[in-house]
Amino acid sequence: MHIPDGLMAPAVAAFGWIIAIGFLALTMKVLNKKINDRQITLMAVLSAGIFVAQMLNFPIGGGTTGHLIGAALATVILGPFAGILIITVILIIQALVFGDGGLTALGLNILNMAVIGCLVAWYVYRALRRANEKAAVFAAAFASVFVAALAAAVELAVSHSISGGTYGIAGSIAFPAMTIYHLFIGIGEAIITSGVVLYIARVSPGMLRMPKLTFLNRPKEVVPDA
Amino acid sequence: MHKPIDRKHIKIIAGILVIFAIGLVGYYLFSAEYGDGLEVTMEEAGVGESKPVYTGPLDYGDSYASSLAMGIIGFFVTLLVGFLLARLLRKSDA
Repeated sequence: MHIPDGLMAPAVAAFGWIIAIGFLALTMKVLNKKINDRQITLMAVLSAGIFVAQMLNFPIGGGTTGHLIGAALATVILGPFAGILIITVILIIQALVFGDGGLTALGLNILNMAVIGCLVAWYVYRALRRANEKAAVFAAAFASVFVAALAAAVELAVSHSISGGTYGIAGSIAFPAMTIYHLFIGIGEAIITSGVVLYIARVSPGMLRMPKLTFLNRPKEVVPDA
Repeated sequence: MHKPIDRKHIKIIAGILVIFAIGLVGYYLFSAEYGDGLEVTMEEAGVGESKPVYTGPLDYGDSYASSLAMGIIGFFVTLLVGFLLARLLRKSDA
């Protein structure tokens, strides 16, 4: 779901940069001086692990593939703001070192996959985890991909509309296509994320009980035993 | 004092890279030729990719060996950047 250069209208790409920079500033403020040594190591290892996982596209049928975004995985383990930072680091390295995702579209990619992906995953996970921890992880991972894809479809449709068709894709094509493909990609994300979280819960449950880095001036939340 | 990288972390890193090396086989067997959800949507809409404004110094490679090498390079670059960035934000009293 990495948006390339030249696909979105310049105004939409600029909007993405403004929102992404705003959220990154908030993220830095939330995380500043709150991370401990264990979380530092975990953030680095999670970033690197999600980077390689994103290289492994899996088939969803019909000649289409998807790959893990990892926003829900990072969020479930370290909280939404650490997740935003982790996915942002990955997206910046992918764009600057590997040319994956356009530089002009980097703001939108950060907005969709890091900001929307992590915040959606966090709120879905938080809403459901007391009822069923495993279902909460599955639903959070699915929703993070699906809502991020819907956001990308909105950006495509708005780009198309405001540019008279020069940029973007008409909503009549973008919405059904992005929705259907990412329905299946979201299920793939949910299966992989659930598998990794279940494995961590078995071999290193303390990792899932680490304090979550959430919002300003709120008590740190602790996840109950998986 | 907590060591940033200890033997347990080295085992985790090695485990991730082994899973990546195995997963890459599956990628080349089943997925390498196909586009992702956004790319296929662009194809259906008849939208081609424009010339990028910036081309990265590396790419993901087009064979198992080159992709494995690029994945390992990317893994360690991301590990280093993630570590340095997180350390900048660490607790002042940690």
